[in-house]
Amino acid sequence: MKIIACYSNKGGVGKTATAVNLAYALAASGKRTLLCDLDPQGAASFYFRVKPSKKLTEASFFEDIEKFTKAIRGSDYENLDILPANLTFRDFDILLSQLRDPRSRLKKALKAVKGDYDVILLDCPPNISTLSENVFRAADAIIVPVIPTTLSQRTFGQLVDFFHENELPIEKLHGFFCMVQGIKNLHCETMEAMNRAYQTCFMTAQIPFASDVERMGVHRAPVMATAPNSTASKAYQALHDEITRRVAD
Amino acid sequence: MTQFENNCYYLSAHAACVLTTDFIGKLAPVLTADAMAAPFTVLDCFDQSLRRSGRLLLETGRSFELLRSDGRVLAQPAERRGQFIADFQEGPVKQALADISPLRSLLAIGSGDLRRAVLAFLDDDHKTYCRAYLHFLTGTDGTAVVLVTPQGLLGYDKALVALNLRIGACGGTALNIGQLYINLLPDRVAYAAKPDVILKTDDTAFDAATAIISAYIPVIRANEAGIIADHDTEFLHDYRVALRKIRSVLSLLKGVYPENQTADLKARFAALMVPTGRLRDIDVYLLQTPQYHDLLPKLFHGGLDTMFGMFAAERKAEKARLARHLRGKKYAQAITDLAGLFDARSMLGRGPNADLGAADYGPALIWKRYRKICGFAQRIGPETTDAEMHALRIHCKKLRYLMEFFGPLFPMPDFKSLIKPLKHLQENLGLVNDYSVQQASLQGFLRDGPEWATGVKLEVAQSVGALIAVLQRRQFEERGKIVESFAQFRNPQTQKAFRDLFHERRDKK
Repeated sequence: MKIIACYSNKGGVGKTATAVNLAYALAASGKRTLLCDLDPQGAASFYFRVKPSKKLTEASFFEDIEKFTKAIRGSDYENLDILPANLTFRDFDILLSQLRDPRSRLKKALKAVKGDYDVILLDCPPNISTLSENVFRAADAIIVPVIPTTLSQRTFGQLVDFFHENELPIEKLHGFFCMVQGIKNLHCETMEAMNRAYQTCFMTAQIPFASDVERMGVHRAPVMATAPNSTASKAYQALHDEITRRVAD
Repeated sequence: MTQFENNCYYLSAHAACVLTTDFIGKLAPVLTADAMAAPFTVLDCFDQSLRRSGRLLLETGRSFELLRSDGRVLAQPAERRGQFIADFQEGPVKQALADISPLRSLLAIGSGDLRRAVLAFLDDDHKTYCRAYLHFLTGTDGTAVVLVTPQGLLGYDKALVALNLRIGACGGTALNIGQLYINLLPDRVAYAAKPDVILKTDDTAFDAATAIISAYIPVIRANEAGIIADHDTEFLHDYRVALRKIRSVLSLLKGVYPENQTADLKARFAALMVPTGRLRDIDVYLLQTPQYHDLLPKLFHGGLDTMFGMFAAERKAEKARLARHLRGKKYAQAITDLAGLFDARSMLGRGPNADLGAADYGPALIWKRYRKICGFAQRIGPETTDAEMHALRIHCKKLRYLMEFFGPLFPMPDFKSLIKPLKHLQENLGLVNDYSVQQASLQGFLRDGPEWATGVKLEVAQSVGALIAVLQRRQFEERGKIVESFAQFRNPQTQKAFRDLFHERRDKK
C-alpha cells in the first residue's frame, strides 16, 4: 500500500482538483483507492457528492476504529472510496501513524471490511505546521501543485527549506506545474528557473489552466469523468502515469 | 473494493418496470440502458455438465458471464483461443469452470438477445446510494426474463437493504438456473451418457435387458453428429461406451433372447464398434501427448513430436473415414433397424432365462462374478502375467456393468459403498493394462512404422525406446498397488456387504 499526500502550503493552487482527478485515475487503473478528504473545507467530498458523516464531527472518533471504517463512503466510481473527514489535529496524527503500521487496529479493520487499499490519497489542509511534518514522514510521496508565479516559487522554496531544516527526505517531494498558461512569459520563465533550481524534484507533466477544471464545481465530478478527452483530463492522466512510475521506483 | 455484489434475482418483465420507475424513500431511480440489445450464445458441453451443475454460461460479443445457482454472476472478457475451457484467458469465469472436463468442448446450445441496464438510486445531490444491474434476456425460441443483481456501496447499507426489500416486494425470486434454461431454451433435450434405466422389482430379465439396451441406443445416436463434426474426443468415447454396455448386456445376461437372435445381435452391435477402434486408439495416444512429454527429458521430445505428428495425420484420415461411414446409408440402415427392433420389442424373441425375475437374476450374476474375482485375487502375485491381469480387468469391468445395470433395484447408499472400492481397483488395473498396451503398441510402431530418413529414425527410436523403459517402470509400480486394492476389495467387510446385498437378500426373498 502506498500513501500519497497532495499538499500545498499555499491555497487556491488546484490541490483538491488534483487529488480528485488523481484518485479517479488511480481507481480507473484498477487500484483500490481511498481518498481522505482532510481539508476542513471538504471540497473533495463535495466533488464526489458525499455528505459529511455526522459521526465525523465528534472529536475523538479515531479512538474507535469501527467509527473510522463506518465513515468511509463508496463513491460512484469503481475502486474508489472517500473518507469525508474534518479531523482534529490529534485525530489526523493518529490516522497517519495507524495507516503506516501494518499491525495497527485500523489496518486490521480495513482488511476485515474491504481487504486493503492499494493507494491512500490524502487531500491535506493548506498549512505548514507540526502536523505537516508527520504527513511528510508518513507519506511515500508528497505531490505539490505549483502555479508558475513568483509567489508560488517563493512558497515552494519555503517548503524545501522546511524539509532541509527538519532533515526530511527531499526525494519524497514531487512538484508539478499547475494552472499553466503557456502564453504568459512569466509562467515560462518561472518554470524554467524552477526546473533548473529543483531539477528532478519537478515532474514533467503539467496541468494547463482550463475552464473544464473550474467546471468541476458545477458537474460535481472529476473532469476525467465528465470530459475524458479534454486537454485537462489528458494532463491529469499524464500526471497519474508519472507519479505512479515515480512511486513504484 | 468500493462495491459489493448481492445475489441475483429473477424478475418478471412487468415487475422490472415497477422497479425501474418507483422511488425508494427519497432515492430516485435512474435507468441507463444499452442502446441496442446484443446477441448472446449459451455455451455448454454436450454432456450438459454446466446445466447439471446449476450454472449457465453466456457469451456475448464482449464478455463471458457465468450465472451460478447461488445467485452470483461472474464475468470476464470474451477472449478465447478455441472451444475448450483451457482456451479461455485467465479470469474468474475460467477459474470457476475448473471442474469441467478438459476433454469436453463448449458448444453453442442456444442463443438470444441480451440488453444490459444499470438502475441507480440517487439522493437529491445525485449521489448514488445503491444500484441494480439488470439483464433483459430473450431466448430465440424462449421467453423473456429479467435478472437483477443489486449492488451496495460502502457506507450506504440501509439503501441496499431497502433495494433488496423492494425487489422482493416486486416479486423477485432467487435465481433458479434450471428454470432459466427452460425459459431460454425450452426445446433443449437433456443428454446423459449414463441414462437412468427404470427397473421395477417385478420386471423380468427380458424386461431389464431390453430396457437397458433401449436406453443406450439413443446415446449412440446422440453422439453421431458430434463424431462427424469432431467437436471433441468424448463423443466417440461415449458412443463406444454405450455400444460396449449393450454388448455386455447381450453377453452377460445369457439366455434372455433366443440363442440365434443373441448371436445375431452381438454380431450386429460388434460390427458397429469395428470402424471406431483405430480412431479411438489414436485419440488416446494424442491425449497422452502432455503426459508422454512429462515422462521424458526434453532431449527426447523431438522424436516424440515426430511420432505424434504422424498420429495426427493418421487421425485426420481416420476421422474422415469414420465420418463417411456414419453418414453412409449402410450405417443408417443398420442402426435404424436395431433401434426399431428394441423400440417395438415385438420381434425380440424370448430365451430360456427371459422370464426369470430381474431382482433374482441380476444379483445372482453379480454374486457369481464377485466370487470369481475374489478367487482370482487370492492367486495374484509377482508371477501373474499381463494377459492374466487383463483377464482380471475384464472380469472387474463386467462386474461393474452388472452392478450398474441392476443398480436401480438396490438401496443407493449400500450400492455406492461397494462401487467405490471396485472403482479404485479398476483404476489400478486400467493403468497396468494401459502401460502394457502402450508398450506393446510402441514396440509395434518401431517395428512396423513408416520409413524415415536415418537421422529421424534414430531420433524416434531413441525417444520411443526411452518411453517404453519409463512405461515399464510405471507398470511395475502400479502392479504393486493392485495387491493392496484387492485386499480392500475382498476384505471381510466388503465381502459381507456383497453377500448381504446380492446373495443373502436373494435367499431371504
